[in-house]
Amino acid sequence: MPEKPGDLVQGTLEMLVLKTLALEPMHGYGIALRLEQISRGVFRINPGSLLPALSRLERAGRIKAEWRASENNRRARYYQLTHRGRKALEDELAQWDRQIAAINRILEA
Amino acid sequence: MFSTLIAGLRALFHRDRRNADIHHELDSFLQASIDDKIRHGMTRDQALRAARAEIGSAESVRHKVWSAGWESTAESLWHDVRFALRQLRKTPGFTATAVLTLTLGIGANAAIFTLVNAVLMRNLPVADPASLVRLGNTDDCCVNSGGYPDNDAYSLFSTNTWQQLRKNLPELQDLAAVESGFSWRPVTVRRDGTQDTARSSMGEFVSGNYFRTLGLRPPAGRLLADSDDNAGAPMVAVISYESWQHNYSADPSVIGSTFWVNTKPVTIIGVAPQGFYGDRLINTPPDYYLPIQTMPTLCGVNHVSKPRVQWLYMIARLRPGAAVAPLQTKINSLFRQIVASDPNYSGDKGQAALARAHIVLTPAGGGIQSLQNQYKSNLHTLLWISGLVLLIACANIANLLLVRGMGRKTEMSLRTAIGAARSRIVRQLLTESIVLSTLSGIAGLIVAWLGTRALVAMAFPGDQNVPIHATPSWPVLLFACSLCLVTGILFGVAPAWIAAHAQPADALRTGSRTTATKASLLQRSLVVLQAALSLVLLIGAGLFAQSLNKLQGTNLRLDARNRYIVHINPQAAGYLPSRLGPLYQAFEDRFHAIPGVVHIGIASYTPMEDNNSSSDFRVEGRNNLGFSASYLRVSPDYFDSVGTRILSGRAFTQQDTPASPMVAIVNQTFVHDLFPRGTHPIGKLIGDDNPKHPLEFQIVGVVDDTTYTAVQWKDHRMAFFPLLQRPASDKSPIDTDTDLYAGAIVLQTAHPMPDIESIARQTLAGINPNLAVVKFQTFDEQIADRFSEDRLVARLTTLFGALALLLATIGLYGVTAYTVARQTSEIGIRMALGAQRLRVVAMVLRGAIIQTALGLAIGIPTAYFCAHYIEAQLYEIKGVNPAILFVAIATLAVAAVLAGFIPARRAASIDPSRALRIE
Repeated sequence: MPEKPGDLVQGTLEMLVLKTLALEPMHGYGIALRLEQISRGVFRINPGSLLPALSRLERAGRIKAEWRASENNRRARYYQLTHRGRKALEDELAQWDRQIAAINRILEA
Repeated sequence: MFSTLIAGLRALFHRDRRNADIHHELDSFLQASIDDKIRHGMTRDQALRAARAEIGSAESVRHKVWSAGWESTAESLWHDVRFALRQLRKTPGFTATAVLTLTLGIGANAAIFTLVNAVLMRNLPVADPASLVRLGNTDDCCVNSGGYPDNDAYSLFSTNTWQQLRKNLPELQDLAAVESGFSWRPVTVRRDGTQDTARSSMGEFVSGNYFRTLGLRPPAGRLLADSDDNAGAPMVAVISYESWQHNYSADPSVIGSTFWVNTKPVTIIGVAPQGFYGDRLINTPPDYYLPIQTMPTLCGVNHVSKPRVQWLYMIARLRPGAAVAPLQTKINSLFRQIVASDPNYSGDKGQAALARAHIVLTPAGGGIQSLQNQYKSNLHTLLWISGLVLLIACANIANLLLVRGMGRKTEMSLRTAIGAARSRIVRQLLTESIVLSTLSGIAGLIVAWLGTRALVAMAFPGDQNVPIHATPSWPVLLFACSLCLVTGILFGVAPAWIAAHAQPADALRTGSRTTATKASLLQRSLVVLQAALSLVLLIGAGLFAQSLNKLQGTNLRLDARNRYIVHINPQAAGYLPSRLGPLYQAFEDRFHAIPGVVHIGIASYTPMEDNNSSSDFRVEGRNNLGFSASYLRVSPDYFDSVGTRILSGRAFTQQDTPASPMVAIVNQTFVHDLFPRGTHPIGKLIGDDNPKHPLEFQIVGVVDDTTYTAVQWKDHRMAFFPLLQRPASDKSPIDTDTDLYAGAIVLQTAHPMPDIESIARQTLAGINPNLAVVKFQTFDEQIADRFSEDRLVARLTTLFGALALLLATIGLYGVTAYTVARQTSEIGIRMALGAQRLRVVAMVLRGAIIQTALGLAIGIPTAYFCAHYIEAQLYEIKGVNPAILFVAIATLAVAAVLAGFIPARRAASIDPSRALRIE
């Protein structure tokens, strides 16, 4: 069985998507593939989770999308980080660091 | 935030394009996945299958993406509402019953609450009503001198007391005084320089600071000032806004013009604010406000300058921050100082009474609470009753929804099985309940609006100026609607929730062949409760109806056929008491000249009207004791005109003049109470309560006990005197004797005369244009008016009882029908095995009958218990009588059998072979 998205730490999917898109614009499958590869197969994101997340991010103005030809010459929807998205990513990363540090302190105490 | 809204709206309006977008993206996702898998060495087929499996249901993904935005919630809500409406339309029986139940429940409650709100809780339309305080707590109307009030609590005051208190209470911003009994003293008004006929109107005598105390501003002209209320000041008046509008079409020239009030010139100085109806809620609000100092000139009574005559109510405006408790103490000690010199408080008894004398301060934001006190207990009973009806309605809705919820168990399971989220199902059912409540709420609003209008018309028949508005109050409607909504949600969603949480497979598997599907305990308890409550209401309705019957069926010992009562006010037409003789003669001559008039009676007042004069009398043989009796002055023809029988002796004649020996007629109760048994009363003497005066009146006749004032005044002592005879001991000038004024003319005609009213008006105007008709009614109408409150309560309780019965019947029918529907296959098997139809009917009916019987078992003791609380509102009825109990039980039983019989017959007509094939 593939890992369920619920196994992701709650609320981190959007951050991970933003982080992935920070490198370059990508289409949906590309994002899923990249997340799976980098996490060495721990996170497998199916479209049922990814596409709603993308839709939410787009609605919030953190990413924007356009139809482009893909590497295989197929039409695909490419997502790109906006200025607001970049700022949101920084905020979330900072927040994440603080939380992780705090959790670690508790676990090591 | 804003951009989210815009994006959402765009998505909603271009949903097809949005859907296509999602579809394309999914497609491209799938292609990319396939390409990737092929690159990693899968065959095309393998890759396709693997990719499809990874993505899962495309429709579900589309749905998830779609629900990421807010617009999907709005959209699915709209879907839910439409679906709910469709579902409701599919079950018209259920929908009609539920909506009707809720509509009647909400409507009836809102109407009653609106009336209660308008009568009991409304504030006067004045500035800061919360800081108004009344000095006094009872009606104690209207004029008093001497004697002590009940509990020594004073509410009626002399002009002197008011002036002294006003001077010595700096805690009060203002202290206003008003005439307590203005509604019994209408004034006759005619505008100068116009062709208007004189109009009998309501005029209230108020202190000069009245409007200032209430904090009112005039829409035109000015209001009364202290300087207007000095003896000898030019006579002025303020006209009410409503009177200005209706009678003078808001003509601005009314201000400053002269009006003839009781034939004396009065200048109108201004208009009272719109909607201001005086200092109390009353069905005849004042048309004119006049300074109390003008009363001697206008009405010929000098209450204002007599220190012992109590005739005023007082209303105070507190200074901000003034504490009531110390004020109360101070007012009491001041009051005792002021009245200490009154001869009433001399002697030991007087001193003790003085020490107990006190004034209770009551909030006056709602005005002087006389109408409120009169209607309070009845309105509270009605509130309880309508609350019970609402409870029954809620029980009904609960029952209907439970039945429906259980019936949809399979549907819910199926929906869960094909992937509907539980929250989605619950939301759908919630929407249905809300849609149902909203529909009923709207219908209830209409019922409430019509109902309140009908209620006001029923409570105050014939009065056009009642300052009570029929607009249902919003808090009330909201309360009733939310109660129904909560019921709907609670009982509609609970079974759905349970159904949704059942494992779908289990739910789908069972349900075909079981016998354990009778109505639940909860359902049956609800029906029992309904039966019990409706029995209580039916018995209550029976009691009130019986009370009304008893009141109306009382033998009033009079004859109302072809009798008309014309109320008049000769004082207001400018007649001095010394000039009344020729006037009364003119009445008799002119009215006798009208063809068809048989008898004409003239009297101070008439039987069964809201009026009374009483005094203490002494009788021969018990010379030193005073006995109270009501008295009135009547013309020779009077007893014939109202149909009072002369039992012995004679009636008055034209020979009983002021110059002839003084005579009296008394009623049977008077003789019975005051003379030893067997005494022949004719020829005995009676006199006033002053022991120094001789007994001056000789009894010449005894009449039957015709009912005066109210039926509740049974066997009341009455004494009658000729219109114009005055005792020799009365040395006061005749022109101060307002007792001589007659208040009514009674006309008896040979046959009904519909045009008698206009004839009477013309006849009176022919004698003197200032003789306005104060009130014209047939004798029957006048009598019916005295029962209007009892009639209102009896009609409403009957209405509510019928409503409760209807609702309970529907509830019982619902549960029985449901049980039958669930037992169809069981009944089929029984009949296939040889059960008789009659036994099936009995089996079904048994349930209905047991529930009704349980309801009776709870309802009967409850009704007995409740009857105790309404006894005070009933006329001569103690406890529940067996006839009413029997009728109520029989009504409920018939309704129960009907409710049970229809489903039972359906059960008995089940074709066994058909029933077995069901499911």
